[in-house]
Amino acid sequence: MSTAFTKFKMTSISIMLIALTGLIFSNGVQAKEKELVVGVSDTLTGGGATYGMPQMNAIQLAVDDINSGGGVKVSNDIYKLKVIAYDDQANPTEATNSVRKLIDRDGVKYILGFCCSPSTSAVASFIGRENAVMLVGNAAERTITTRGLTNLFRTRPPADYSGTAAGTFVATKGVKRLGVIGALDIAFYALYLEAFEREFLKTGGQIIAKETFSLKDRDMTPQLTKVRAMNPDALLVIGYIEPAAFVYRQSIELGMNVQRFGFTSGNEEQFLTVATSEQMEGVWDLRPTELTLEALKDNAKVYHKVYTDKFGKTPAPMSPYAYDQVYVLKHALEKAGTVDDTKKVIAEISKSPVPAEAIMKYLPIEGKMFDKNGQAYTSNSAFQWQKGKWRYIADLPSDPAAYSVYLHSLRN
Amino acid sequence: MLAELAQQIINGLTIGGIYSLMALGLTVVYGILGIAHFAHGSFAMLGGYVIFFFFKKFGLSFFMATALAMPLGVVFGIMIERFAYRPVRDAPPINSFIIALGLTMIIEGANLLMFGADQIVIPTTYHGVINIGPVAIVELRLYVVITTIVLILAMTAFINRTSTGMAVRAVAQNRSAAILMGIDVNRIPMIIFAVSSALGIAAGAFVGSLFAISPGVGEGLVVKGFAVLILGGLGSIPGAIIGGIVLGVSETLAAGFISSSYKDVIAFLVMIFVMLFRPEGLLGRAQR
Repeated sequence: MSTAFTKFKMTSISIMLIALTGLIFSNGVQAKEKELVVGVSDTLTGGGATYGMPQMNAIQLAVDDINSGGGVKVSNDIYKLKVIAYDDQANPTEATNSVRKLIDRDGVKYILGFCCSPSTSAVASFIGRENAVMLVGNAAERTITTRGLTNLFRTRPPADYSGTAAGTFVATKGVKRLGVIGALDIAFYALYLEAFEREFLKTGGQIIAKETFSLKDRDMTPQLTKVRAMNPDALLVIGYIEPAAFVYRQSIELGMNVQRFGFTSGNEEQFLTVATSEQMEGVWDLRPTELTLEALKDNAKVYHKVYTDKFGKTPAPMSPYAYDQVYVLKHALEKAGTVDDTKKVIAEISKSPVPAEAIMKYLPIEGKMFDKNGQAYTSNSAFQWQKGKWRYIADLPSDPAAYSVYLHSLRN
Repeated sequence: MLAELAQQIINGLTIGGIYSLMALGLTVVYGILGIAHFAHGSFAMLGGYVIFFFFKKFGLSFFMATALAMPLGVVFGIMIERFAYRPVRDAPPINSFIIALGLTMIIEGANLLMFGADQIVIPTTYHGVINIGPVAIVELRLYVVITTIVLILAMTAFINRTSTGMAVRAVAQNRSAAILMGIDVNRIPMIIFAVSSALGIAAGAFVGSLFAISPGVGEGLVVKGFAVLILGGLGSIPGAIIGGIVLGVSETLAAGFISSSYKDVIAFLVMIFVMLFRPEGLLGRAQR
């Protein structure tokens, strides 16, 4: 009895010891699940929300994908991502407040989003002094990546990078007298036009009018009436989607039967909210390739479908700039093996190749996604509205390496 | 040049009509009740969203949805008067001013909750263009101008030719005397707010179909409405109509012939210029 009891006791203790050892062992090897809060500062209300909301959705989509795929593996820990988002209203003051809140109150080190240039530039003016990493999406003002900031990276190329290619293209369409209407008070649109004009004038073309509208303007008939009186043979529309869509609609209403070119980056749904398909017919959009199903890899199609299913609307063409940011960050965190040491993470982003999950068609510089300015480049393309759809027509000639050198020369 | 000028004036008349409609809603409330109803712009915005909802949910045509939304505006206007402004009717004017600001915030917040932050454009089927020589008149704009004229005429007839309108004018002229004459002075402010809100809904409908409605758009509308009010003369119905057209046309001419960047500046310069020579506004009565 006693021997049997002792045997039983020994067996039990052995089992318990094995179980305990197993438990300790498994705890030591299995990664601990933690939460990493990433911040989003973007334009979620007002006119700029046509860019900011798709970016916000794209970030949420990427975060959900990453979390459901197991999270971010950093050293021995698994991090699930959590998003805290603030609305910057495309306003520099609001953007500064948003980012200060994210850094000072929420303790966030990684900030994504940034669709609109004025608000993004305001944040870029101080982010260099912060222990944080800023990933900029759609904001296209050139100076954002000429500040020599090591902790700022941008997925969208600057506007003038696309303007150069567009100027050459419009000239090939036989345009000689061009009327321009756009948000020319906004620096990056002015830069697009400056680069466009440089190329266009080389071909003997003439810009006969430069009319301005603001982000909030919806009645462009006074400017269009003025341009119409000058008998242009084409119209170039540079600006945010909705005002641009109103220009297209109102130009037809005013009987302007001329070629129309633009730099806007909106999807069909966004334009059809304002104008009819007939009013849009024949319009060209000359911009970075962005989300173009005909021109991109299969993952773009998957992104398009998943986004549409999740949010009940098709993704704006520029939205993957933000989606791709999340994957850039994920891979950099995993390679750096830390979420706290932003210097290591920055070093990893600087040398990272284009992530396999990236939606956009990036053109790497020396094998890296970002050049020494923290700037990524995509191809540029010409799209035309045909029977209710933006059709990809052709790639525009783009030279990211040369532009990268030029951008670096502008450092201040 | 002449064709361009004619086109610009046609363009400006539509905007002017909408400004007039906004200002009419404000002027009846201010002229008769002495309340600066700052929430009127937000109410117009809400109206635009409601009409868009009617279109989306029930597939109603633009004018049908507007016709259905205007009675809702009447009910809402009555509620605003009864529950927000009446309790502070005899208090100092600052109280009604604060109520107006509070209402603005409530309407903006409720609108965000109900309809979200998306900007909307109310779809219509009026895409035709009538060409008279070199001047193009867009079908929708024409209907907006015609409807605005009809609404203005209806309101003028209501104020000038009905017994209720007479009572409204009596209260505006002398509230104490109106009480002595047996006029129910609790009913009149309700009627005023009902009419004002219905006009606000119509203005929101027109802005939403011609241009776009988004959260915060009411702020700009009410600023323009008050500018027209001052330009035309505080409390003057014909002043609101003329003032709206003057502001709309001068904005358009400024954008077309000078620069669109300065269109607001130039419109307000016109206002200041009028104020210098007629401080009571274009059709206002000089205070004695």
